Amino acid sequence: MTNSSPPAKKEKDHANPLGAITTFLLPALLIYAAFTALPVLRTFYNSTHLIVPNRPAEWVGFTHYVELWTDRIFWKAVWNTLTWAAVAPILEVTIAILLALCLYAKVPFSRVLRVAWFTPVLMSYVVVGILWMWIYNYEWGALNTMLRGLGLESWAQPWLGHPDTALASLIAVTTWMWTGFNMVVILAAMSSLPSEVLEAAELDNCGWFSKLWFVILPLIRPTLLNLIVLSFIGKMKVFDLVWVTTQGNPLWATETVSTYVYKRAFQWSTFDLGYPSTIAVVWFFIVLSGVLGLTFLFRQKDKLEY
Amino acid sequence: MTFRNTTAAIAVAAGLAAGAVHAQELTLWSHWADQAAKVEFVESAAKAFEEANPGVTVKINWYQKEPLYAALKTALTAGQGPDIFYAETSQTEYMANGLVLDLKDKLNWDAIEPWATEVWGYEGGVYGFPLEAWTVETYVNTALAEKAGVEIPVEGLVGAAFVDVVKTIKAADITPMSQGVGDRPYPGAFLTHDILLKKLGAEDYASLLKGGDVKWDDPRVREGLEYAKEIIDAGAFPASFSSIKLGEAHRYFHTSPGAVMLQMGSFYPSRAFAAPDAGGQPDGFDISISHGPIPEGAACPKCKTIAVGGSYVINAGSEHGDLAAAFLNSMATPEMGNKWLEANLVQTGIKADPSKITGDKAAYLQKLAAANEGASYTYGIPVQQMQGTPRETFTQTVNQAFPAGLIGVDEVIDMMSSAY
Repeated sequence: MTNSSPPAKKEKDHANPLGAITTFLLPALLIYAAFTALPVLRTFYNSTHLIVPNRPAEWVGFTHYVELWTDRIFWKAVWNTLTWAAVAPILEVTIAILLALCLYAKVPFSRVLRVAWFTPVLMSYVVVGILWMWIYNYEWGALNTMLRGLGLESWAQPWLGHPDTALASLIAVTTWMWTGFNMVVILAAMSSLPSEVLEAAELDNCGWFSKLWFVILPLIRPTLLNLIVLSFIGKMKVFDLVWVTTQGNPLWATETVSTYVYKRAFQWSTFDLGYPSTIAVVWFFIVLSGVLGLTFLFRQKDKLEY
Repeated sequence: MTFRNTTAAIAVAAGLAAGAVHAQELTLWSHWADQAAKVEFVESAAKAFEEANPGVTVKINWYQKEPLYAALKTALTAGQGPDIFYAETSQTEYMANGLVLDLKDKLNWDAIEPWATEVWGYEGGVYGFPLEAWTVETYVNTALAEKAGVEIPVEGLVGAAFVDVVKTIKAADITPMSQGVGDRPYPGAFLTHDILLKKLGAEDYASLLKGGDVKWDDPRVREGLEYAKEIIDAGAFPASFSSIKLGEAHRYFHTSPGAVMLQMGSFYPSRAFAAPDAGGQPDGFDISISHGPIPEGAACPKCKTIAVGGSYVINAGSEHGDLAAAFLNSMATPEMGNKWLEANLVQTGIKADPSKITGDKAAYLQKLAAANEGASYTYGIPVQQMQGTPRETFTQTVNQAFPAGLIGVDEVIDMMSSAY
């Protein structure tokens, strides 16, 4: 009996090394608490208060939320951002599949093409924004010059300066920028497909389209869904590109929720951080529900398929 | 250590300690990072102040405007920030939140223009040192005007005469007015602003902008907007108006491809008078300054806008408030006023005497003075007079969509009316 208690204590230590767990987790937890959890909680707090310097925070209840409900610029920004987040992932992933197939089929110059198509994602949004402002320039931009060269003078227009084309033009930019990244991920997924499945399809005289549609795409489906969700989240937060190119103009046609929050927080001649915090909180829940919705949708389909 | 050495060491230490007690550092955060003449003016003033006040140093951080505002907002909210910082008259939030010192009893106001003092007035106090001031001017590229066969007199053109000039220039395949809103919320509105100001007069126009008794559906406002629309529809602005940045609009006007007119703040020389290879106007480029378009039935045809631009304010939380005021006062002298004019060729809130300026820059200042002869001023451009949703709506509509031809008079009236 006297010999049995020390080993029991030792076993307990092995099973639950509280000291080690604390040592390893605490720094990360502290950083998370200081730079993520606390600001998030503070944003929730701010959204129900009037926050101005030299005065204690004043509780205003849900006044900011009521005001936000009737804020037409906010809803315009929501619409633009949702449009972007809905359209861009589909474009990016669809084009990326086609490009990845080209490389998978080992078209001539595939190594050069892989680098060329991937390069845009290595650039920052600021550089990309300036580059595309030049391309879209009405007077001497490459796009309008090309159209004029093709005799399509009437098609030339200020792409970023007209409400009908500005948002679409920016969506085209993010598509150009991110398609290469998606392509590389899809190509990696294709390259890791089990060769016996593809060989079996070939033995069954499966044509290339059937092989793509019934074998390859279903097998890489989880990768595609992850890319769509990642792209969706990225577009819901888009700020840099808009700020560099249009700052939300013209007539709020390219205003996104992120640019509007920035304008309200830093450009509206007010120190109140309450209202911008309210926008952030509402947008957080919209993004969260979007991601949860997508996840739910994809899981449902998976269940149906299996 | 001998007694003598010990005594010397103590004396040196005491001296250092005394020095440390008297050493004071003033911190200044300012816009104008890319405007060499203004940087040089302020830095030379700081150097002179340091020499006149041993133990005092002035540490200046230069910024672009947007990063400066963002940095100030964060710092001031946290109860920090520099002793002195750049501000503009539209930033009433500084006064409303008690973040800047009232300078009414601290500055030498005798050396400052009364209108500049008035612009910085807020609830009985005066809060800013108005270093930079500018008027809205219509600059004319005389060579291109001659090429297009038009004459744009200093006193401006009334009603259809201005529209005809725009049409004539356009017919000559030349851009009548260079302008762009790619990076600023105000230059696109200069045309409409100038017309509405003259049409309504300063008082009614201020009432319109601030949501007072004069409304956007007032018949006079509609007439003014319709006149502006006529000029816009005559092809006044370049097709790339929406994306042209402020600096690019200057270059478009004087270098490539060239335009006959440019409505701009009188800070025009700060960019245009740089060397040609640094983006300045070509050597020998000749400009005149006109009073621009004047609508029929104008209540105040001689009305112009004067805006107090870059100013310095003192942080209410500064431990060196009096020293900071002394530094600002060191710039509030007629000599410094003239020095500013000569270096920057843009007006200042400091009382100055342009007639004392000689040399190659004198001719430009004389043209500027002639264009302002007998003018009646309103203070501040619209974005300096408006706040919140009306300001944002004005920026998007009157500044951008309306001059770009994207919306008409009815839409402007509807959108502006619903913004208040």
